[in-house]
Amino acid sequence: MSARGGAPLGAQVAALVATHLSDRRRSVLAWGLPLGLMSSFIVAIYPSVEESLSKAIRGYPQGLKEAFGIGQLSNIEQYLHAEMLSLIVPLAMGYLAVRAIASGLTLAAESGRLDVLLSAPVSRSRVVLAGFLATAVELAVVLLVTGLLCGIGSLLAGSGLDASRAAAGFADVWPLALLFAGFAAIAAGFSLRTSVVTGSVAGLLVAMYVVDLVGRLDTGLSGLRYASVFKYYGNAIEDGIEPVAFLGVTLAACALAALGAWLFERRDLAA
Amino acid sequence: MSSGGCVDNPRVAADPPAIETEALTKRYGRHRGIEDVSFTVRPGEVFGFLGPNGAGKTTTIRTLLDLIHPTSGSARIFGLDSRRESVAIRARLGNLPGDFGFGREATGREAVRLLSRLRGLDGGARADELAQRFRADLDRPLGQLSRGNRQKVGLILAVFHRPELLVLDEPTSGLDPLMQEEFLALVAEERERGCAVFLSSHELDEVQRVCDRVGIVRGGRLIAVERMADLLGKARRRFSVELADPSRLERLRELPGVSDLELAGNRATFTAAGDLDAVVRELAGHHVVDLEATHPSLEEVFLGYYDEGEA
Repeated sequence: MSARGGAPLGAQVAALVATHLSDRRRSVLAWGLPLGLMSSFIVAIYPSVEESLSKAIRGYPQGLKEAFGIGQLSNIEQYLHAEMLSLIVPLAMGYLAVRAIASGLTLAAESGRLDVLLSAPVSRSRVVLAGFLATAVELAVVLLVTGLLCGIGSLLAGSGLDASRAAAGFADVWPLALLFAGFAAIAAGFSLRTSVVTGSVAGLLVAMYVVDLVGRLDTGLSGLRYASVFKYYGNAIEDGIEPVAFLGVTLAACALAALGAWLFERRDLAA
Repeated sequence: MSSGGCVDNPRVAADPPAIETEALTKRYGRHRGIEDVSFTVRPGEVFGFLGPNGAGKTTTIRTLLDLIHPTSGSARIFGLDSRRESVAIRARLGNLPGDFGFGREATGREAVRLLSRLRGLDGGARADELAQRFRADLDRPLGQLSRGNRQKVGLILAVFHRPELLVLDEPTSGLDPLMQEEFLALVAEERERGCAVFLSSHELDEVQRVCDRVGIVRGGRLIAVERMADLLGKARRRFSVELADPSRLERLRELPGVSDLELAGNRATFTAAGDLDAVVRELAGHHVVDLEATHPSLEEVFLGYYDEGEA
């Protein structure tokens, strides 16, 4: 019965991805539901707050409006971007990506599962690759759930949210979050402690956001923004997805994951 | 029970060793891991790896499995390099980690299914057969199982694909005596099938019952590789004997290998090392009312070994 070389690459990765997604199935609800309901609430209340909001916004300092992408809130898409897509959704999804990678690598190492998996004829880099792919799918599903709930909220409240623009806004979060999955894979190449991996990469996520914010507030420091992925995130709900940025960040995420797999292949998996 | 027969079998001896290490060394910075560990395990041989906790048993196993990389030295399994060809090696081995875990929510069946898919085979029927034999529950989440029942699932995952080499790190920890017996029977069957078994343990009794040869590791170094029978010959065992006529108990003191003789009434307590023939012959000439023999502890085996080395 003993198979000499194990299953082919595709079959092994498919098995690992399916298991990873099965393990993480609750995260779709745990993250998609609150984010979706919150987005839904935002679009649902927009018609009733539109007038007072416009007045209030006119009184905001210009720098603050620019920093948070709320230069004007003349339509529901701008409001959704300002309330959800400029801060909460990207940060939440970035952190979710880190947790998902940690679940497949560091938590698996801590629970002993990694030892069992690596008793089978599967390379460590395949385990990392599968974790990254599964995370990409998980992020897409959570964003889909969030977007769908948001759309349902708009329909029920009659807010008139443009579905395609909203879809672009939510979809644009995907490569940004995936980039932090790549950083998490690298972090796991250095440490097998979940707290270290999630703490360090979540710190990087917040740091990049702050760097981008500072760069936008102070034109003298705008050069700093190149160090942050948020510079390439933009405002897809209003401007549409920037294909070069979308593809570039996605490729960067894949490159980071590949580097993480290389590091993971070479490190000791101590007991 | 141990025969040592497989190492004398010319057919088996012609095959590449199941495991062959050469000066295998692992250091963690200033901390010791293992140092210059060299040994060979033949196909079809059950090799015990005996040592106290912290001796380097698990480090050796993790190095063989390429979970940690050696600082120097090498390990070959079925003639394949443990580092460069670890995936091909793992296709042919089964492993039960010392502290088996697979997450709290997963069931044994899910684990079997995943490992079957990774190995490219359907091992469900064999896993069910083993689950029945070991009375293991494959359908309950592992987090709801006792340590012993989790260990049974780990054992099933290690053997369900009929590997050519079994690496077992403290395999019976948590198993009840009945299941320990079943486990030892399984190891014997695997040996009959031609599977080599590398069994790490700190329980001499377990190793004694099933192993052909044993390596003793202490302080990160392999201090001896012995046939089981030779090792036991060097071990010091404690005896307590009661004779109907105590006047001749003093004669035990003169027997070779006997030490620490204590007399109390009709009872003598003493330690005997090496060949017991003289002790048995002496006692055979008396009316023996009671006789107790205590298995030597691991430390007593070590002491026996060191005494021999110093002689």
